[in-house]
Order: sequence, then structure tokens, then C-alpha cells
Amino acid sequence: MTSTVTSSRPGAGPDAPARLAMTGISKRFGAVRAIRQADLVVRPGTVHALVGENGAGKSTMIKILAGVETPDTGDIEVDGSPASIRGTSDALALGIATVYQEPQLFGELTVSENIFIGREVRRGARVDWAAQHAQVVDVLDLLGLPPRVATATVADLPIATQQQVSIAKALVGNARILILDEPSAILTDAEIDVLFTVVRRLVASGVSVIYISHRLDELFRIADEVTVMRDGATIGTYPIGDLTVRRVAELMVGGILTQEKAVRAPTQDTPALELSGLGRVGAFHDVDVAVRPGEVVGLYGLVGSGVSEIAACVYGIDRATSGTITLAGRQVRPKNPGHAKRLGIALLPANRKQEGMFSFQSIAFNISAGHLDRLSKAGFWVDRAAERTVARDLIKRLAVKTPSEKQAIGAMSGGNAQKVVLARQLVSRPEVLVLAEPTQGVDIGAKEEIHKIIAELAAEGTAVLVVTSDLPEALRVADRLVVVRGGTTTVEFGPDATQVDVLAAAAGHDDPSDASDPEQDS
Amino acid sequence: MTTTAPPTSPRPTRRARVLPPPIAGQELVLVAVIALMWVVLALTTPAFASAGSIQPLLVATAPIALAGIGMTIVIITGGIDVSVGGMMMVCAVVTAKALVAFELALPLALGLSVAVGGLLGLVNGLLIAYGRVHAIIITFGTMNVFLFVGLQIFASRTVNGIPSTLQFFGRGVAGRTLGVPHAFVLTLLIAAIAWWYLRHTAGGRHFYAIGGDAQAARLAGIDVRGRILAAYVVTGLLVGLASCFLIAQGTSSLDQSVGNGKELAVIAAVVIGGTSIMGGRGSVLGTVLGALLVQTVTSGVTQLGWPSQLSDLFVGIFIIVAVGADLLRERARRRRLRAKGAAA
Repeated sequence: MTSTVTSSRPGAGPDAPARLAMTGISKRFGAVRAIRQADLVVRPGTVHALVGENGAGKSTMIKILAGVETPDTGDIEVDGSPASIRGTSDALALGIATVYQEPQLFGELTVSENIFIGREVRRGARVDWAAQHAQVVDVLDLLGLPPRVATATVADLPIATQQQVSIAKALVGNARILILDEPSAILTDAEIDVLFTVVRRLVASGVSVIYISHRLDELFRIADEVTVMRDGATIGTYPIGDLTVRRVAELMVGGILTQEKAVRAPTQDTPALELSGLGRVGAFHDVDVAVRPGEVVGLYGLVGSGVSEIAACVYGIDRATSGTITLAGRQVRPKNPGHAKRLGIALLPANRKQEGMFSFQSIAFNISAGHLDRLSKAGFWVDRAAERTVARDLIKRLAVKTPSEKQAIGAMSGGNAQKVVLARQLVSRPEVLVLAEPTQGVDIGAKEEIHKIIAELAAEGTAVLVVTSDLPEALRVADRLVVVRGGTTTVEFGPDATQVDVLAAAAGHDDPSDASDPEQDS
Repeated sequence: MTTTAPPTSPRPTRRARVLPPPIAGQELVLVAVIALMWVVLALTTPAFASAGSIQPLLVATAPIALAGIGMTIVIITGGIDVSVGGMMMVCAVVTAKALVAFELALPLALGLSVAVGGLLGLVNGLLIAYGRVHAIIITFGTMNVFLFVGLQIFASRTVNGIPSTLQFFGRGVAGRTLGVPHAFVLTLLIAAIAWWYLRHTAGGRHFYAIGGDAQAARLAGIDVRGRILAAYVVTGLLVGLASCFLIAQGTSSLDQSVGNGKELAVIAAVVIGGTSIMGGRGSVLGTVLGALLVQTVTSGVTQLGWPSQLSDLFVGIFIIVAVGADLLRERARRRRLRAKGAAA
């Protein structure tokens, strides 16, 4: 696809030279073309939103601007003069500051120290604490924070304040262009209000803000212009007044995609897994989902919607503080993942490398882990022959590409490793299977196969709950799709849902009639 | 520098406190515990209350505290150095043999020991800063190498006939002025300098940043390797000085067992002093108090005539209590933040 800038018409402000003009930017990582001939023009004193689906190329654009990556082709101009950004220090010298989603702060140091670390104001041998303090207090005041925050230890501050400290750190560096990468993902609604007040103040003082967010409803509160990216290209730049949430979703998705999928019917009407009024203070509330045997239910939400926290509660990693989890009519309270497993919930954790696999061990070891009681003789020593047979069967069934079951899992590709972790859950067919982000970091081919396995399991009568923030995947595998937004289940879609409808529902809609929800979830 | 907006906010009129308080809760607790132990010891063993008992206690505390200052910096950066016992042995035997052979003057003896310590610290530092292997593995390796080298230099079980050059730092009358042991005063002086350096200079604060998040520290433009190297070299230098104190505390002979197990006493002092073993937090003041506590336990057990293994038991309990208190504090902080988050 070639890029076309369909509009760069100013929406607000004077026709001054652009604060930032990136033209014809391309970047390739090996065989992957992350960015293709992308253009981005940001005017002084505006909030410019950059939106796109996961993998559309937003982060690479930001990394190029921040000096973390160097583009293969393209030009960058700042305030009308050509800029060469070869490293992070070049970006800082140009006044380009980036606030990453996770604050990069030192918990045991004070706010002042964090802001000046590595560039301390010195008086003789010692740090001039008073001079630093005075500057920090000024910036904190701009952000609406009291002076006492300057001397607080960072680890003692709530996450929202920590993020404001990150912004303060960027501002003390004399920023003209401030990049906010998903700043709202970890914040509550009240904290987002504060963030927006800060952004407006900064813009009023002449700073240009590049704002990245998955929550499309936010754009209409804060952005002046929106640039949409898709498949590594910039689709166009639009004044916010010309857009609706639904229109942005359409631009991001690029038309309506439908895929063939088998229609299944649940084998029983009694739910095998039911979450009812489930809540955890500070994470999510009033979550209602029921999964019947033989059906696949998708739980879809954007990053920060609370969807991953819900999965963690079903797994027993976190405890719910209200509501119930019912398994085949029996109320349960999973205390930890081992307990959840004994209760009969098979799990595929979200973070394969940290939670799901033993990197240095063989495929056979990874598959049999957790089943050793059944694969042992006299309940004592492991029956290596049985272990091997089970491993070989599953390797064949899941089409894991490996020369032998003895191969160490750490050396395998993401897709193959994920199949092995999934195989562990399939040693015996589970009644309830909960998968979190089952195809994250997995190549297309393996993704297809994992989806096929999910469908097969459902056909055999397993109740499957797929928790995901990957929309095409949610649509592809789920018979029903429950959307999580703002920490609670909202709308439910049937098998005929379209990407645009679901995205608009998950990202929030400015006009309720925009979201054509066929049935409201209780 | 803040040119994003004109500084419109009113400057604080009174001089605001811009740094956290110099003494933390744990340090006050340590002072109280040490005071309590001294009172109990004085009541149960009347001999303890005399100056003749306190002075050797302070002299014996000095080498642990001194090495502990270096160890504090190392642990703040997220590392550890288990080779300090081995280093002490090498420094002590080299210095003792040189004293016997060349009758070195006091400054030369000190200089030699400190130089040898600095060299051994440099070996540790280079391997750790550039080796990308965890410090505990590297220093465990160098510990064994240092012990081997030390034993080779010893050649026999003891070095005998050491001149009294170092008596200025010893237990005797020559080691005190107005009843205060020189070794302890020098230790306090060095501790004060280290305290000021860690608290008030950029280089000092960078140790904390590295222990907090080495990757973020690198992104902030901190010379992470250089700082780590410095931490181990400083430890070596201080261990060199501590070794002279050990020679001075002995008689005219030095035994092969010198420095034996001292790394554990030093690490115990640092941990009891409130320095987080995970890095990023800690203070020299706490370490000096920790060393005093460890030595009080050791001396106290001896004075009471109890079996000496009991002192290991008590030190072990203190370590667990200190780490446990740290954990509870961390948990309370998280709970407080969560409560705040839920209220928002």
C-alpha cells in the first residue's frame, strides 16, 4: 500500500512553519517493513494524535523521533530547519522529549533527584540541591503539583503522579515537542482529567504534543489533529472536527474485513465457567461472562481496559474482591494458578517467557510439567517413555516444528514455543480453558494453527475463554465477543460482529447511535 | 533551564527542606537496640561498663565498619563483594611481611596495605563491570583466588616478630588519645566523608540510581561501568586500611586465620544497617551502627562467658529481623499507595 496524505489542512492555529515535519520516513527490521514512506506534520502549540492498531508503526515512528532508531530513508525538519537525529542525545538537544508508558524513574530517589539525574546542577563538588529544587518546583507548578512533591521519594507516589514526574523530567530539558506514549493506559478517569489539564497548559505555553492512545474517545477531548497509521504507512492527517470515533476506527482498520468461520453451537446450556459481578478494587468491577461447554467466548478490551486483570483473577494470580466465579455450577475461589488448575481450569498465561515456559528445558519437560503425577510410576519416578510418547503425540498434533522432543524450548521461535506451552494444557482435554493473549509475538502461520486448535477443542466440548487485546483474533476465534471498557463488561457481539463496530464499542463512542450493538449484556 | 514557561510560581519564602532527613527510622532503632544491649551488659557483667571494656569493642568494630562502608556502596549499586575476607588476608600478610623485612614506617605500611587492597578491588571491579556476570559469582571466584595467594605468601602458619609500628591503631595505650581509640576515630572520619559523598554529590547519587534501575541509569547518561568499578576499588582501598587495624589488634604475630569469615560480619553489618540487598537504598550511618551492633553481640557473648557460637545465632536473628522489617515497610508502602489509588 502506498501512503497518501489526504489532508494536511490546518484545523486550528496560525499557518506558521511546522514544529515538526517528518517526510518519506521508511524503516525496515530484517524482512519486516515497519514504516513505509510515512509523513507526519505537527504544528506549534497543538496536540497531534497518532493512532493505529497494534503493529501499525506508531512506536517505530516515535522511536525514530526519540533517536532510539534511525530511519532508512526520509527527512526530519524541526521548526523549518533540517534535523539529524542519530541518538537520544540529539533528540533531547532538539527539544524532543519522550514520556514512555512505564515511568523510567528511580524509586528510592526523590523527585528532584530523578528529574536531574545524570545532568545535576553542581556547585563545586556537590550537587546544588537548592537550585535544582527551585527549578523543579517551577515545573511542578506548571503541572499543577504542590512543591512538597519535589522532595518526596518516588516510590511513595501514586502511579499517576509518577507519570507527571516523568513529564516534569521531560520539561526541565527544555522540550518543544513532547511525545506522550499511551499516557492514559495506566491511569484512572480522574487521573486522566488531570493529565489533560496539564497537556492543555503545556500547549498554551507553546509546546507541541504528540499524543498516542488506543482510547479513541480521548482524542476528541484533547487532540487538534489526528494522523492515522495502518500497516506502516500514514493514511492521512485530519482535523479532529472532521472525525468521529467510528470514522477513526474505519480508517485504522481500512475497510471491513470478514473471515469465514465455522458456526458452532454449545453442547450444553449450563455454563462451564461463569463470572458473575466479579470485581477487584482498583482494577475492574461488575464483570459478567458465561462460557458454555463447546463454545469460544472472547473477552476483548484495549490495553488498560482491565481485561488482563480479569484474566489474572480467573487464574488465581490476583484475588477478586467482589462477585463470584462458578465452575460447572460450583462456586470457586482460585487462590493461585496451581489451585485454579486443580479446580479444573486449564490456563495459557499471557506472558509466555515469564509465566509459561522453562526456557532451558526440553519440549518434553515443558509439556509434562504439571502432569508428572499422572506420568509417574508408583506416583514416584517419572516414566520417561510415557513422557516421550505424550510429547511426540502433541508435537505432531500441534504441528510443532522441531527435530526432536529433546530440543530446548528457549531456542525455538515464538510461535513454536507458544504451541508447546499450549500443548501442556492438552495432555488431557480440559473442560475449561482460559487463554490470555494466546498469539502475542507469534508469527501468522502459527497463529492460524493455534486458532485451529482452539476451534477443535471447542468442537470436542471444551468451554474456551479467550482474553485478548488483538481484535482480529477476537473476531476470528470467538462465537460471542464480550467487550470490556473502563473496567467492566459492556456490550456483547454475536458471530456477525464487524471490526469497526467492536473497536468503536471498545474505544468509546461519541455518539451512542454509532455503535450498532445487537444485544446489551446484562 | 525551564524555558517552557516563565517561572511564574512564587518561590518558597522560607528555606524549604530539599533533602530527606539524614537519619532514617531504622538507624534510630539501631541506636536504641545498641544502647539497650549496653545497659543489659553493664548490669549483668559489671566489668563491661568500664572504659577498659568499651575501648576494645570500638577498636574491634573499626575494621568491620570500614570494610562495611565500601560494602555499603557496592550493595547500593545492586552488587555484593564476598571476597573482602580474602582481601584482608592478602593485605595483612603482605603488610606484615613487609613490616618484618623492611621495618616500614607507619605511613608506608598503611600505603602498602591500601595499595594492595585497591589493586584487588580493581580486579573485582574490572571483572564485574565488564564481565556481565553477577558480582556474587565473580567475587566468590576471586575470594578463593585471594585465599590461595594469601596462603602462598604466608608460607608458614604465622608471621612472627612484627614490629609495633601499627600500635597507633591497636588496643594498647599507644592506640588512644584521651581514651578514644584512633582506629575508631579514623573510621568515623572516613564514614563522615563517605556519608557526605553519597548524599551530596552527583557521583554518590549515581550509585543509588544504578542500584535502582541500571538500564534507566544508562539511558540517563550515567557512566554505569565507571561507577561500578569505583565501588569495588573503594571497597578494596578501605579493606586495605582495615587490614592494618587487624594487624595492630594482634600481638607481634599474624595467624593464617586473619580475615577468616570477615565478609559475613561485614555483610551482616550492612544489612542490619538498613541497606537494601536489592540495591538502590542504604546509608553509611546505618552500616557503622550495624557494625557496632555485630561487634557488641560478639563481645557481649564472650563477656558473659557464653559459647561463642551463640554470637553467630544472634547476628543471624538480627539479619532476619532487619530484612523482615524492610519487607514489611515495603508492603505497607504498597498498601498505602493502593488505598490512595482506590480513593482517587
